[in-house]
Amino acid sequence: MTSYIIRRLLLMVPTLVGMTFLLFAVVRFAPGLREAGQANVAQGMMQSRQAQRQEELLVARRLHLVDKNGHPISLPMQYLLWLKSTCEGHLGTSLEYPEPVLKLIAQRLPVTLTINLIAMLVIYLVAVPGGLLAALYRDRLFDRGYGLISLALYSLPAIWVGSSLLGFFANPEFFNWFPAAGLHSTNTQSMDFFQYIGDYFYHITLPIVCSTYAGFAILSKQVRGSILENLGQDYIRTARAKGVKGSTVLVRHVFRNSLLTLITLTGMALPGLLGGSVIVEQIFSIDGMGRLAYTATLARDLPVIQTVALIGSVLTLLSYLAVDICYAIADPRVSYA
Amino acid sequence: MPETPGPTVQTPEVRLPPQTFWSRVRLRVFRPWMVKFCAGYIVLVCLIAIFVPFLATGKPYTCIIPAHHGVPMRREYPLFRDLTTVSWVLLVVAAALAVQAGMVFVTRRLPPDPRRQRRRVSLALVTAATVLASMLIVTLHHNQLDATNYRAMAARGEITQAIFAPIPWGYAAMEPLSKNLINKLPSQRHWLGTDGEGRDVLSRLLWSTRVAMGIGFISQFIALAIGVLVGAMTGYFSGAVDILLMRLVEIVESIPTFFLILTFVAIYGRHIFYIMVILGVTGWTGYARLLRAEFLHLRQLDYVTAAEAAGLPLWRVLFRHILPNGITPVLVAASFGLAGAVTIESSLSYLGVGVRPPTPSWGEMLNAAGNPATVFHWWQALGPGMMLFITVLAFNIVGESFRDTLDPRNVNAG
Repeated sequence: MTSYIIRRLLLMVPTLVGMTFLLFAVVRFAPGLREAGQANVAQGMMQSRQAQRQEELLVARRLHLVDKNGHPISLPMQYLLWLKSTCEGHLGTSLEYPEPVLKLIAQRLPVTLTINLIAMLVIYLVAVPGGLLAALYRDRLFDRGYGLISLALYSLPAIWVGSSLLGFFANPEFFNWFPAAGLHSTNTQSMDFFQYIGDYFYHITLPIVCSTYAGFAILSKQVRGSILENLGQDYIRTARAKGVKGSTVLVRHVFRNSLLTLITLTGMALPGLLGGSVIVEQIFSIDGMGRLAYTATLARDLPVIQTVALIGSVLTLLSYLAVDICYAIADPRVSYA
Repeated sequence: MPETPGPTVQTPEVRLPPQTFWSRVRLRVFRPWMVKFCAGYIVLVCLIAIFVPFLATGKPYTCIIPAHHGVPMRREYPLFRDLTTVSWVLLVVAAALAVQAGMVFVTRRLPPDPRRQRRRVSLALVTAATVLASMLIVTLHHNQLDATNYRAMAARGEITQAIFAPIPWGYAAMEPLSKNLINKLPSQRHWLGTDGEGRDVLSRLLWSTRVAMGIGFISQFIALAIGVLVGAMTGYFSGAVDILLMRLVEIVESIPTFFLILTFVAIYGRHIFYIMVILGVTGWTGYARLLRAEFLHLRQLDYVTAAEAAGLPLWRVLFRHILPNGITPVLVAASFGLAGAVTIESSLSYLGVGVRPPTPSWGEMLNAAGNPATVFHWWQALGPGMMLFITVLAFNIVGESFRDTLDPRNVNAG
């Protein structure tokens, strides 16, 4: 097992190098880097030409474009310098906000993470029993209906659902039931804990609806498939034949074997948990990771873009590895010796 | 005692339907009525995308300009003069498809053609003609900007016998501000109402099919081309090729497509072409993985060894012998991929980083329906939302049916 993990980690190295190279290339060959520096300067008021030049140099220096004396650095050296500072944890300062990138991410990440965790919980609570029932009532009305409805939900475009939810249920013109933006009311200071939590859930209802409905289809389809596969196995017949209770067969024999599929899907969903949905966050004006990345991209805030992409990529690779390790733990038949 | 031969059993001549891959697809995938309906819908949307210049435009098919100032009376064809290069190319492609389909229909009654020579020759001829015609159009045709308001002219009697399209509004034609026809509910004049700039919503809805179908098909075509090539290589040659290419797959997989497109748009400006290419160039990894798994299994089978032993060239073994047996999971994924591409395009256009105005796209129309928290013009959101929903659902239902009936790894495959 240990040797397997080490081998996998070693295989990740070339991928990571390739990825950082790609990230570096995309950002470095992007025209408009200079403009990004100038935009930053423009934020300051009435600066002399000299000060402007200094500021520009500072930005260039932060991005490892020039060395201490202002001489340009060659591309391979730029890459190595960037890699070195990244590995040391210096992920740079945002060009848009006067804050380190890591601090920005630390502010935004909890917002996205809580919303996504709640959404994921809802999805699992609906989709796993749904898939189980669909498998038990295979090809009957429930199965067909559930399959079609979840597929239809999956196909509903989030932009339409989101804007319609907001337009109909958070709009004085129709029903003004929910708040239109943000995560908290303005008077959070005067609330006790339970009021605060209630207020929070009141605010995230529409975003949660918008980010859950599409998730049912894939998960329940997979659960249904794997349960059907396991139901057809010989050991299930054996268990039934020796008089094991029906529910015990389902939980102990069938469901446990179907866990593998669940693990895979959960692993695949992990990077998405931290990424956040741009669409949902944008429509409901939630300041999460998705919105951060979106605004950073449009503002050409290169350090933020790089960091978010880097974190996302590393997490994707790590979650693939985590899936494989969980496999080995959940299923004693899997061996990676 | 010599054995007497028993009475010879006469096996009756049973004519089995031809069991080619596509006949199986036709018989099994498209059997449920809902799948037929969805396939019909997709074909309809494609037809709309091709023929929309004839359906929704302010230019009349034909009209007569009476004699004036000594110029004699003459007949004009403004709509045909107004067709863009893209429209002409699409018409040529549609004509080629029709010719090819007709060829298949005509030749199916002829005696069998085991090597499919006829079909291949006709396909080659039609393809060559299409490519040539498209190149000619692209080099010779120039888009004309005809801002004449033919409806107003017809109303004033300046042109006669004008025959207008069923929806006499172009996608960019704005109602004059003076008429107070901005953000209006559906009416006799505008069947689905007007948007914030006084443009006909129905016309824009139909014109949007071009962007949606264009992005869907072209991006997935690029993705399939790369994915099939890489998947075949990694599956067939294991070892160094496999290890290297799979690292490439991992790298591309870890790129967040959405943000790559955003970055491109932020740097180079918005263009539909970027979205197509980026979706294609980053979307192939799933196809490659699926095909790799199929190739790993198929290359060990005897018939492949036989093909190799017969000395067939490598591309023939890969693409004529192995690929057809392993393509099904890829087809399933491609159907979902198409739906995904349409969704991503609409999301980008919704965020304002997709198509360039005034080009209509369903996402852009949803965005233009107003700031939903304050003013929400629901009739502007209903049409594009429904079209997006039904289009994506249709692709997903066809994909599901493909998977349920043809995918060999599916436990439910009948």
